[in-house]
Amino acid sequence: MNSLDLFRNPFSDYNANAMDTKKILDYWCSPFSFFKSPISEQDIYQHDMPIVFMGGRGTGKTMFLKYFSYPVQRDEALRKIASGISGNILSFIKSRGGIGFYLRFDGPVLRSFEGKGLKPEIWDAVFTQYFELQVCKSYIEVILDLVKREQLPRDEIDKEFVVRVSQKLGASAGKCRCIEDILSVVENMLEEITSFRAKIGFSSVQFVPSKPFAAQDLSFGIVEIAIETINEFKDGVKFVIMVDEYENYVERQQVILNTLLKFVTPGITFRIGMRLEGFHTYDTISPKEFIKEGRDYTKFVFEDILIKDQQHGQRYGRFLMNVAQKRLETVQEFRERKFLNISLFLGKRENLEEEACNLIGNEENKTKHFDILSRTELLRTKLDDKAIKNIKRVISKPENPLLEVLNILWIIRGVEPKTIKKAMDEYLEKVSSPLAKKYGLDYVNKYKLSLMILLASIYRKPKMYYSFNTFCFLSSGIVGSFIDLCRRSFQYAYFEDPDTLLGKGLIPNHLQNRAARDMAKTELEMANRIQNYGHNLYLFAKNLGNLFEKYQKDPLMRYPETNQFTIDASIRGDRELDDMFKTALQWSIIQAKPSLQGQTPGASKTDIYTLNRTFSPAFDLTYRTRGAYSEKLDASYFKALMTQDNVKIRFGPRGKKAGGKSVKPKSKEGLQQRLI
Amino acid sequence: MPKIRSKEYNMQLLHPGHHDVITEYDYLLTACGSDFRAYQILRMSRDFGVLFRKVLFFNFEERHSCLDSTLLEAFQSYEGLGLNASLIGCSIKDPSTCVKALRDSDPDFRSATKVALDISCFTKPYFFCLLKYLKEQTMISDVTVFYTEPMSYVFSKGLYQSYHSTSGPLSVMEIPGFPGNDTRTTKKVLVVLLGFDGELSSFITEDVAPDDTLVINGFPAYAPKFKEISLINNEKLLISSATGPVLYSRANSPFEIFNLLEHLYEKETSAFFNIAPIGTKPMALGACLFALVYPAVRIVYPLPQKYADVTTQECWNSWSYEIPFRTT
Repeated sequence: MNSLDLFRNPFSDYNANAMDTKKILDYWCSPFSFFKSPISEQDIYQHDMPIVFMGGRGTGKTMFLKYFSYPVQRDEALRKIASGISGNILSFIKSRGGIGFYLRFDGPVLRSFEGKGLKPEIWDAVFTQYFELQVCKSYIEVILDLVKREQLPRDEIDKEFVVRVSQKLGASAGKCRCIEDILSVVENMLEEITSFRAKIGFSSVQFVPSKPFAAQDLSFGIVEIAIETINEFKDGVKFVIMVDEYENYVERQQVILNTLLKFVTPGITFRIGMRLEGFHTYDTISPKEFIKEGRDYTKFVFEDILIKDQQHGQRYGRFLMNVAQKRLETVQEFRERKFLNISLFLGKRENLEEEACNLIGNEENKTKHFDILSRTELLRTKLDDKAIKNIKRVISKPENPLLEVLNILWIIRGVEPKTIKKAMDEYLEKVSSPLAKKYGLDYVNKYKLSLMILLASIYRKPKMYYSFNTFCFLSSGIVGSFIDLCRRSFQYAYFEDPDTLLGKGLIPNHLQNRAARDMAKTELEMANRIQNYGHNLYLFAKNLGNLFEKYQKDPLMRYPETNQFTIDASIRGDRELDDMFKTALQWSIIQAKPSLQGQTPGASKTDIYTLNRTFSPAFDLTYRTRGAYSEKLDASYFKALMTQDNVKIRFGPRGKKAGGKSVKPKSKEGLQQRLI
Repeated sequence: MPKIRSKEYNMQLLHPGHHDVITEYDYLLTACGSDFRAYQILRMSRDFGVLFRKVLFFNFEERHSCLDSTLLEAFQSYEGLGLNASLIGCSIKDPSTCVKALRDSDPDFRSATKVALDISCFTKPYFFCLLKYLKEQTMISDVTVFYTEPMSYVFSKGLYQSYHSTSGPLSVMEIPGFPGNDTRTTKKVLVVLLGFDGELSSFITEDVAPDDTLVINGFPAYAPKFKEISLINNEKLLISSATGPVLYSRANSPFEIFNLLEHLYEKETSAFFNIAPIGTKPMALGACLFALVYPAVRIVYPLPQKYADVTTQECWNSWSYEIPFRTT
């Protein structure tokens, strides 16, 4: 068997829904070890108030909830027992402080509880019955598993717990002799609902359950019985109901569950996983009550932690490296060769100078970028051919085209060619002078990536996206996006260059770039298929991409790397526009940026949003988010971006005088032009 | 477990020509459409040796609302066929209400004994619901299903990755009447009957989130290359989600896919079986028969905002399938 036969793409499993407990344990990488978080690992079980975990698609919500659910924790306990760290399953669970009951109903099931000519109130009753029984089933299955594994005494369970639960379920006397009988009764009751759902589609059957249950009857009632009758649960083991994909619940179903959230009792709480803006309603069954963040639940947004950290530290990168390592370890070929560091496969960071040289290497005209100097609209003083030739001679640096583009920028900004050359030379020779320092800051810290983007646009060639650092940024705080980028890169590498992949543990840059571009294109197209406002979201992403592309290819670099925006309050006041906006956030088409500054210097603090950086390769945009300037979207412009194809792009700050006449913006643009 | 064996089923290629015996049906249930094959069975009924005393046309409001004049003319061309016909208004999104009203929409339908269904232009959820309705809410013992294959499909930008049978947002639904039963199951299996529209398969897989995804492609297909087109268009599903190799079943035989599904089902007795019939209509018909025999199986289907106006070109073979309700 050769190495090709052994290869399995370590990043192919990216859907936690389809992972078994072993895979979840194998791939688990605790975020608590990497990030400063407002909640601790203990809080997952012990915090009394429900916690709502919000995050875009692929942020790891399902992985997170599943990890803390009973089957995974049980297997974790078994691993620890095998290595002598823990005594038994029950003591491990007790040390955690609770048991997680993971519930995920897929969209088709949830959507089946509506319509078909039936009144919504009747569907409410059917759904309540279904949810209560499903939670009950989940409890019983765990207790049964603990009994079977001799963690709970069967005699005691059958004696009191079974009897009281049997009464609760309305089972006839003597029908339930053991915990298995209870499970069977619950399953029979669930099948009554299934049977009703099967018939209601084409007949007028009535829903007549053998015993109807109201909200809390079983979800809270069984917990009370368990705590009262099972000694092992009496000393503070919390029942934690983990409801995933809350956004899939239709509005009326959320009302029912919101009510449960609001009225949690000691010993029972909820952990909810949902997309951003996943609440369709905050109402409860009681008309005067609603749920409120802080009072009824704690909110935890995955991206807040990941994106914020991405901006201020290296923890996100280390976290992703660890996520990748766990996956690489599962492939024998990589394990044996110790190819376990993803940043070595991808390269730590991109080499822009090399990329720039490669970009123009095969061009016939390798100085096309100097043509900017003949664009009179960019310069106050027109330069004739002789002057341009002269400037070109002084500021040329053929071995580094990026420096040449920076030099051109400085020329446009009115700096003398001789001064530029001096600055460049001193910078390159590492002379400690103010001029060299300024030049270095402009080049390395401020403009290098922008210069590359501009250079690529001048030569009408695509910017390359490769390296671990770039993939970290492109993933935009969404772990699933990083895994998908890796999956695509490994897939291409395995197909096109398996020797380099398996023999050297490297993935060529052009294949990484292709993976990044593929993903951007696919994600953009998939936006079209989002259930609500899909086409609007597609247009919005496309128009925003075009808008930012214009900023980023501006030869004057007035707003380098602009890819963020603010929105006018009127958007949130318009029901439909607000819904579109929320859906865009929910699907991570756009992302909220931690509010650190105003739209422009001096302006008040406001919420800032960015286009998900996964889309960057589709528009040749920067993969970073820098905070200099934010495009402000008013309601009409926002609507146009959401509803029209190829919207006419605005550029730069806008303002109006009292009389309605445009005000010339006091921006860098003005200052720069004055310098010339 | 019952199996449909070749000697027990009847699947016939309809040949135009002289027929000594004319098979008469009380009703034909069919769907209005602008595809040329929509009325092929009706246009050719005498040549095919069949006669329909009454035709119930299911008129989808979403289909005729925005057709241009040429397509509208094709859509309404059934009017020139001299039929005893009734029009039933219906919506793609809500097969349930329409099927429930069927009994009342035509009083004579209650006494019908010989019913046929032309699935060529029905949406799949509709013909699934209709067959379940006919099986469970009427005394009809069998039904004849007609189907006309397209000569080709409409590929807007080349053969690969340009076929879209639907447009607009999607939501995955359980087909009414086919919720299955997951109560005593330990894992979830999704069987995808591959179609050309690759986005659909990925979308369903993501929503259903099965433990295992089995993929069945139509082969032999209606025409060379169709098999490859569906594989290429479903690349994402095949690379990222499919469990095991791609399985094959004849694209125009509902009975062959029935037997393959049964074979797979026998191997996964403790699984919650989900089928996504996004391939050919005869394959979907097989899935429907299978779910009628095994009600614990769930049928999931992507419901779009709109189906493409025209997805096929011309007509190829027409088939009739005898579906015995009482024996299956």
